[in-house]
Amino acid sequence: MAIECLVLGAGQEVGKSCVVVTIGGKRIMFDCGMHMGHHDCQRYPDFARILSATPGATDFTSAISCVVITHFHLDHIGALPYFTEVCGYNGPVYMTYPTKALAPLMLEDYRKVMVDHRGEEEQYSYEDIQRCMKKVIPVDLKQTIQVDRDLVIRAYYAGHVLGAAMIYAKVGDAAMVYTGDYNMTPDRHLGAAQIDRLKLDLLITESTYAKTVRDSKHAREREFLKAVHKCVSGGGKVLIPAFALGRAQELCILLDDYWERMNLKIPIYFSAGLTIQANMYYKMLIGWTSQKIKDSYTVHNPFDFKHVCHFERSFINDPGPCVLFATPGMISGGFSLEVFKRWAPSEKNLVTLPGYCVAGTIGHKLMSGKPTKIDLDKDTHVDVRCQIHQLSFSPHTDSKGIMDLTEFLSPSHVILVHGEKPQMAFLKDRIESELGMPCYYPANNETVSIPTTHYLKINATEKFITSCTAAQARDGLEKANLLCGNHLSGVDGDVKADEGILLMEKSMAPKILCEDELLQLLGTERHSVQFESLLSSRVEEVQTTIVDDVVSEF
Amino acid sequence: MDMDEDLPASEPCPTFTNLASFTGPSASPSSYAGPEVEVRALASMATALYPLARAEGLRGLAAVLEKGNAGNGVAEYCYGCAAELLRDEDEDIRLVAVRLAGICVEKIAMREELSGDADQIDLIFLQLSSMARDMCAKVRIEAFNALAKMQRVSDGVLLQSLSKKMIKTDTGSATGKKISPKLVFPCAAGIFAHGIEDEFYQVRAAACKALGELAKFSNQYAQKALDLLMDMMNDDTEAVRLQTLRTLLDMATYGHLSVQEKHMHMFLGILMDANVIVRNAARKILGLVKLPKLQMFKSALDGLIAGLEKDPEDQEIYGVLFSIGKNHGSFSANIAKHLAKEISMASDGELILDKPRIKALLIVSILAPCSVDKEKELDIPAVIFSHAIPLLGTISCALGEDTQDSLLSHLFHRCGLPFWGKRLVSSDGKDSECFSVETADGTHAQIGKTAMSTNCLDEVVIMQSARLILETVQGAWAMRKSCIIGEVQSTLRTCKEEVNILAVNSSGSAYGFLSFVSDYIDAVQLIVEMWRFVQSENSYAFGSTSQDILLEKFDTSVRRMKCCYVGLHRELEVQVLELALLAILFRLSELAICSELVLDKLHWITNHLDGLCADGSYELSDFSQEVKKSFDANCIDCNPAVNICSFLEIFDLKPATNFGMVNARSAVLKVCDTDTDTENPLSCVRGLPVGVSFDVSLQNIACHDRIWLRMIAGESIQHVFLDLSCFGGDDKVKSCSTVIPFYATPMACSFVLRACLVIECPFGSICDHQEGHGGPRDCVVQLCDELDVYFVSADMSKGGG
Ligand SMILES: [Zn+2]
Repeated sequence: MAIECLVLGAGQEVGKSCVVVTIGGKRIMFDCGMHMGHHDCQRYPDFARILSATPGATDFTSAISCVVITHFHLDHIGALPYFTEVCGYNGPVYMTYPTKALAPLMLEDYRKVMVDHRGEEEQYSYEDIQRCMKKVIPVDLKQTIQVDRDLVIRAYYAGHVLGAAMIYAKVGDAAMVYTGDYNMTPDRHLGAAQIDRLKLDLLITESTYAKTVRDSKHAREREFLKAVHKCVSGGGKVLIPAFALGRAQELCILLDDYWERMNLKIPIYFSAGLTIQANMYYKMLIGWTSQKIKDSYTVHNPFDFKHVCHFERSFINDPGPCVLFATPGMISGGFSLEVFKRWAPSEKNLVTLPGYCVAGTIGHKLMSGKPTKIDLDKDTHVDVRCQIHQLSFSPHTDSKGIMDLTEFLSPSHVILVHGEKPQMAFLKDRIESELGMPCYYPANNETVSIPTTHYLKINATEKFITSCTAAQARDGLEKANLLCGNHLSGVDGDVKADEGILLMEKSMAPKILCEDELLQLLGTERHSVQFESLLSSRVEEVQTTIVDDVVSEF
Repeated sequence: MDMDEDLPASEPCPTFTNLASFTGPSASPSSYAGPEVEVRALASMATALYPLARAEGLRGLAAVLEKGNAGNGVAEYCYGCAAELLRDEDEDIRLVAVRLAGICVEKIAMREELSGDADQIDLIFLQLSSMARDMCAKVRIEAFNALAKMQRVSDGVLLQSLSKKMIKTDTGSATGKKISPKLVFPCAAGIFAHGIEDEFYQVRAAACKALGELAKFSNQYAQKALDLLMDMMNDDTEAVRLQTLRTLLDMATYGHLSVQEKHMHMFLGILMDANVIVRNAARKILGLVKLPKLQMFKSALDGLIAGLEKDPEDQEIYGVLFSIGKNHGSFSANIAKHLAKEISMASDGELILDKPRIKALLIVSILAPCSVDKEKELDIPAVIFSHAIPLLGTISCALGEDTQDSLLSHLFHRCGLPFWGKRLVSSDGKDSECFSVETADGTHAQIGKTAMSTNCLDEVVIMQSARLILETVQGAWAMRKSCIIGEVQSTLRTCKEEVNILAVNSSGSAYGFLSFVSDYIDAVQLIVEMWRFVQSENSYAFGSTSQDILLEKFDTSVRRMKCCYVGLHRELEVQVLELALLAILFRLSELAICSELVLDKLHWITNHLDGLCADGSYELSDFSQEVKKSFDANCIDCNPAVNICSFLEIFDLKPATNFGMVNARSAVLKVCDTDTDTENPLSCVRGLPVGVSFDVSLQNIACHDRIWLRMIAGESIQHVFLDLSCFGGDDKVKSCSTVIPFYATPMACSFVLRACLVIECPFGSICDHQEGHGGPRDCVVQLCDELDVYFVSADMSKGGG
């Protein structure tokens, strides 16, 4: 038996995460994301390949047992309405409760940006999103879901964003974990990823930061606060482009706290009603946040931001310092681009960019080098004189975290997705050399096949069991004496080895038996083979060489 | 990993004692099996198929180890069992395994004669470290607890535990070589970096504790650990912050804390923390560490001073200033130099001792010579020492021990005052050792040793301190125009406190003088207060009553100064009279009409002043001359309005150069033989006179002084003149026991008689003459506190009994 792993997206790249795994005849799609950097057919995974890899399947519903979405980021869920409503997949879709609650917000926000601002052709409608979400079956953490008779899935806490999960899937003896995006260190509002030690054949892990090892978050937080404080105390405006959910909340907790401590009176704005709404969700979904918030929210809910108020479009040109959270992150369009155009020309202002920006976005352009001018299209340019601060904290785990999780889970095989090729190659080498696990990082549309373990139930004969226990008892006594005499060198033989013969016959359960039982069974007599070693030495020379020679006689 | 093969190999041959310890319990019939069989059985249980059995096996092993009869090798053996299960699928078993490993580690560490294999220890450390990355929080806590017990871990391994990034092992160094590749657990790196940002505060606290414990064994590690600890000071859980402080304090105490510039920001931050425990700990730490740069030293001082400004009552800061000054000799000397410049620049009283900054800097400065940097000749300007003397009380209070004398003599020695010729004699008659700058190595202990246990300060020293305090008072008064009144007031308040502190430790003439100075400062404080009233636009808004009260208080303190001291030098006497003049002027300005009696007194005083200055040794002050002029030249009736403001403008407090041998007049009044209080009242009969026998003792009262016993019960007041000729003793102390009848007993079951000795003011006071009762002819001043005598009517007490 084997696990077939078809990578439809996020293979040697970041974006449109989608992995289709076949275990024991069951086919699971992990994530169904879209690529933010592409605006053509490349933005979605090439779903057609599922059908061509499934002989006999005519539609997606019959080809795929279930779809599991790890979290609400668009590169993990963006193609779902398209897949269900346009491609016609009708089977079960699983995601956690918070993801189910927050995903429509994200999808609708993005759809609006696409259609309203960029004037693109609509890929799916608002109603499509609604219909799609209706098909979703929500799951809870550590809840074991019996998808069908053979397939079992279970979600584990992944950190990263609210509701993010790692997915454990098991068919028969074959088991695997698909991590989605995860974070091994807690942040201001989310805990660290948490999973049981499981017997796994395969671990599919993200590898956004396959090579980076981050130092403590305290230093990074300080840096960010310093940059913001410096800017506002100089009368500047701070633009924080962020997706409505996740980073925005974390940074907001951080700033709100800092404002409180430093007694600052400068306004912090949230651009869209969307985010205020999202904050409300956060308040409701307290159970999915970090331990600290869970411990203390009854006294103070950290999502009740004291210093945060709503931003009106007319505020853009107001004088005086402020901090503004605007969607979308990476300044890929929409309101954050609008504000960026107004604020970028002043050197007093500051733009903080997320740690990772997809190629093709303005955020990416700002991060690569220090551009003084950005071309939006043929006719519009923006002079960039403002400060650029790159946030060095990220909701993704770093290389150390990936190694830690892999070591903790100790799977038989590792597949890396959601990363950049050179870094993935580096991490693959580390995993193979340091942890001794075979590791792969297939490109998009490649398939990797992993052998799986198969557990056999065997019977043992009575005689074999008796002989085993007798040997153990003898052994134990001997060791007790050794211990008494303080000779602990004998202790290490704790592995109780017993000899037996495994008999596997067609149409019969395998069984283990003693040597003489086998003879009986076969009806033959015992043969003996003897070995003798011969030493040949040459005395003439000063040094003596000893040559082991084995001569066998029959 | 082949733990089990390696561990026993590291064991030395069994010694005889070890054998004995093993055979001992085996011999007794009750524990025939002996621990080794127990261990063996439990160990095999720990490898069982069922998780609960495994867990029980491990728990059993832990119990055996904790019982303490674990012989040589058993700890290692148990560790082997635990190590096997560190990767168990069941998190409870991992937890128990780590706990057992922790106990083993402790046992192994306890043994002095450890065999040498350092790799073994490092391996254990790494193995436990890898458990600190477990997904289960409880396991992580246990792992950090176990790590805290480790000892003899090699530096390279320790350092790696702080950094997530792989430290390139320096092939040249010995430590680098020790970590062979097979020992490396990738996730063991940087476990402390992970630990301090753990989601669970219990884990963070455990990590912090372990950091501190391990810091004891490696300086290099301690230095790097500090960076992490600094971050932990920002933790949002208080428990973690407190643990961090505890760790820092531990490190500082053991001398493993080397603060660098980048850490100062954090230290200064916690110095101002809202939590008093945090603040105090931060200070203590600062008091213990050695700061490498002057800039850091200065910023630490600024931080402490800021704390002092926020809460001037916080005595502990002085103690910290004291140790910080002592720990950094050359920096203190630098501070002293600048301070001396500042003092000399600020000529007329601008330098206010009350300013916490100056106080703090003075304390630090005077300690420079006590510092450990003996090799350098530290030159502290004498002016620093003379200014520091008034702060002596504060300083020694902060130190808490009786180091005053030695410190003081040190100060006098340093500022080159002539008094030094005379050695201080302590109360027990032995010569107190001089505070020797040369031999003091700057530790508290040393000062404590040289100091003799005497509470009585040398008189000369007190006079000197008092002189400086008076100068300060006069300086403060001089500044009333240019400066915020509040600041003047707080200066005065501090001076008063200093005087009181000095007074507590003095007696005799010194006490008398300090008491005078205290009254003097009271008076000045009151003038300043009234000046504030007068200055304010709508003085009437305050209401005349409060001004009345002030004036009354002022009168009293002037009267006290006039009547309650003998031996005042003429110079002081002139000052007292000028204060009396001022009191009269206030009264006149308030009444707005010239009472004849008041004017009489005014003239009496001006005449008296003339008399005192007649011989030409003193010039009449501008103020007195002005008063004389305005009241001599004009006819009494046509100058009703006194412009107090203009007089106050020119009123000046001249620094006195001579004080004379001031002795306080005082009295002690007691009821003979009995301690009367509410529990043991004296008995009397309602409405009938009652005789009370008093013990009276008078100090510094001359025969011509008129002393009265004033008795008040409810509404009724009775004065009894004391005939001093009946008293025994001399001019210094007179005493007598006498029975005095009190006539006006109220018709009550019980009452309190408030008795007090008062002295008649012989001249020029302006309180209204009290008629009736045959009482004193003039104003009186209390010589002692009122004594409460309790009475209960006799029939009542019987009935009650
Ligand atoms: Zn994500």
